[in-house]
Amino acid sequence: MSTTLLTGSEAAAYGAKLAKIEVIAYYPITPAFPAMERVSKFIQDGELKANFVRVESDHSALAATLGASLAGARAFTVTNSQGLLYMTEVCYHTAGLRQPVVMACANRALSAPHSRFPEQGDAVSQGANGWIQLFCENNQEVLDNTIQAFKIAETVKLPVLVNYEGYVQSHTLEEVVIPDQEKVNAFLPLVRFKTLDVENPQGVNTVTSPDFYMDYKFRQNEAMNEAVKVIGEVAETYGQEFGRNWSGLIETYKMDGAEHALVCMGSMVSEARLAVDELRSQGKKVGLVKVRAWRPFPVEALRASLKKVNKVTVFDKNIVYGMGGALGTEVRGALYGQASLNVNSYIVGLGGRKFGLNEIKQVIELSEKTVKQDVISEWFGL
Amino acid sequence: MTLRIEDLPKEELFGQGNGGCKACGAAIAGRQAMKVLGERTIITIPASCMATLGGNNQKTAWKIPFYHTLFEMAPAVSSGIRAALEIQGVNDVNVVSWGGDAGSADIGFQALTGAAERNEHMIHVCYDNEMYMNTGGQQSSQTPLYALTSNDHIGKPVKKKNMLAIMEAHGLDYVASASIAYPFDLMEKFQNALANPGFSYIHILAPCYRGWQIPGEKTIEFARLAVESGLWELFEVKKGVRTRTHEPSLIPVADYLLPQGRFKNISKKAVEEIQTSITKYYGRGDK
Ligand SMILES: Cc1ncc(C[n+]2csc(CCOP(=O)(O)OP(=O)(O)O)c2C)c(N)n1
Ligand code: SF4
Ligand SMILES: [Mg+2]
Repeated sequence: MSTTLLTGSEAAAYGAKLAKIEVIAYYPITPAFPAMERVSKFIQDGELKANFVRVESDHSALAATLGASLAGARAFTVTNSQGLLYMTEVCYHTAGLRQPVVMACANRALSAPHSRFPEQGDAVSQGANGWIQLFCENNQEVLDNTIQAFKIAETVKLPVLVNYEGYVQSHTLEEVVIPDQEKVNAFLPLVRFKTLDVENPQGVNTVTSPDFYMDYKFRQNEAMNEAVKVIGEVAETYGQEFGRNWSGLIETYKMDGAEHALVCMGSMVSEARLAVDELRSQGKKVGLVKVRAWRPFPVEALRASLKKVNKVTVFDKNIVYGMGGALGTEVRGALYGQASLNVNSYIVGLGGRKFGLNEIKQVIELSEKTVKQDVISEWFGL
Repeated sequence: MTLRIEDLPKEELFGQGNGGCKACGAAIAGRQAMKVLGERTIITIPASCMATLGGNNQKTAWKIPFYHTLFEMAPAVSSGIRAALEIQGVNDVNVVSWGGDAGSADIGFQALTGAAERNEHMIHVCYDNEMYMNTGGQQSSQTPLYALTSNDHIGKPVKKKNMLAIMEAHGLDYVASASIAYPFDLMEKFQNALANPGFSYIHILAPCYRGWQIPGEKTIEFARLAVESGLWELFEVKKGVRTRTHEPSLIPVADYLLPQGRFKNISKKAVEEIQTSITKYYGRGDK
């Protein structure tokens, strides 16, 4: 175990190295590329025994990663924004084929207009593609979640996307504890899942009739439901082994006696914690619910944790045009029929627009002023 | 070394129970290739007739691992498979991607050129029926000049893109054309490709009787006429050395073109022009 300063990109790369990935295929995109460059260096320096496939596109990056996984290797890739959209077709395919691929995603705004700045819209656009999605609040969590992602993926046989924000996390140094390799080996032993195997030939992705298709999809969704439990169990075991329990689908912070709950995911969480601390010190009954797993969506956990509050404020660093922020919409859906509470949701921080501690406090103030009627996806900071 | 029929394994690794049309040229190509590739082969096939005819629900026509991939990605998937095998220390498995003309020359070209440039240890096969048959026979970059397709009742106004020249330009150690009417020539080319530790490209003319509008029982015959008329040259390029592997008898090209329904709009002048260019090409002693 050692503590060192790492960017989010490096934390993802260390996570992948500790998970002993065997194949990485990657296509450069800003701001995800430093993670891949770090993995390449590990390989060239002989610190990681893995094959790097230098593909010609993001689509092929995930395709090669998927091919490696089908042939029994532990496989990993990194992307974001345009790269992730370009992979979309392969994302659905990977989930449908139930492959335990892990992909890190340095969340970035989507074009047009062109932007290379942070936002969660890229991940949100993939909300129906069948991947488990974890959001990390700091670089330590990026490393820890990357390792846990393999454990979760290999347990429920679904791919996992590990999200951390571009620049805010990908390019910012933080103190990160790097666990010992032997401990990670014990936590995550190498298990091979060979789908394409000459010793046991099978046809993969054959043309599927209406007699079968829906049942496959049911099972795929069941795996997602299983992940609800597994994500928590993995966090628990990881916590016992490594001393950091990032909790399961959600984490509650100072929710005891809270009347007003903030709900958000990703890097906003660490600043929201500060806002809660400050308001609590002023005697305000504010708490925080961190959404760690965006897929599967923590419906039950949110219902349980938000039972006693009378106001919920959601920060959405994404926009689903014509509908509003995705997190707000889904939190509202999850809480439907539960007591009478306000769910106010705000569109914030798109394309790198500043949304730090001060802005969080301003939105809380706005939200506190509202009565009865929900504020649905109001734009903040225009 | 010349292959003889008695050298071939009796076992069929592909084809039995396949869901293709009764006289499918693509399926014939698959059967011939598998005689050489053998059971220690993993094949990826992008969306196409060949992918859909290879398996239905819980049935498969392949006795080797077969993966029906997305349309644009078979060579990339195969690259990942090779990387995975290598890291596991498995060195005796043949890795093949097998695409149609669209899956190789059009939408699939990006992944193909990428894998070829990286000189991945694999074989890519383009089985060419000169149109998009799985979606009903639309025009592709491999559709020849003047041919009719389901989306064009006038005739293709531009030439067929020369994929063999493009793949040769990658500097590969093995590039070859083949035809299902010359099975031993085809199979020897697969042997040569297997002997190449890098990327090999084989482009097989595999007629689709439906798209070409010819009788099903003439699939092989038209594959042969394409070669004998000189339109489809059989050759290989081994480490930069180009060899014609079959000397065509140069029958009139009209005998190949005119009986096909897809060329029913072709003018006499156009046929003459094609004939002139073939005569000129072979006349220059290019072997
Ligand atoms: C991304 C995507 N676009 C379009 C299609 C529809 N599609 C499936 S097969 C095919 C044509 C295949 O043509 P080719 O590669 O020549 O093979 P053939 O069917 O002619 O044997 C098309 C257009 C698809 N499956 N995926
Ligand atoms: S349409 Fe043509 S290529 Fe497709 S299966 Fe039938 S004969 Fe073969
Ligand atoms: Mg075709």
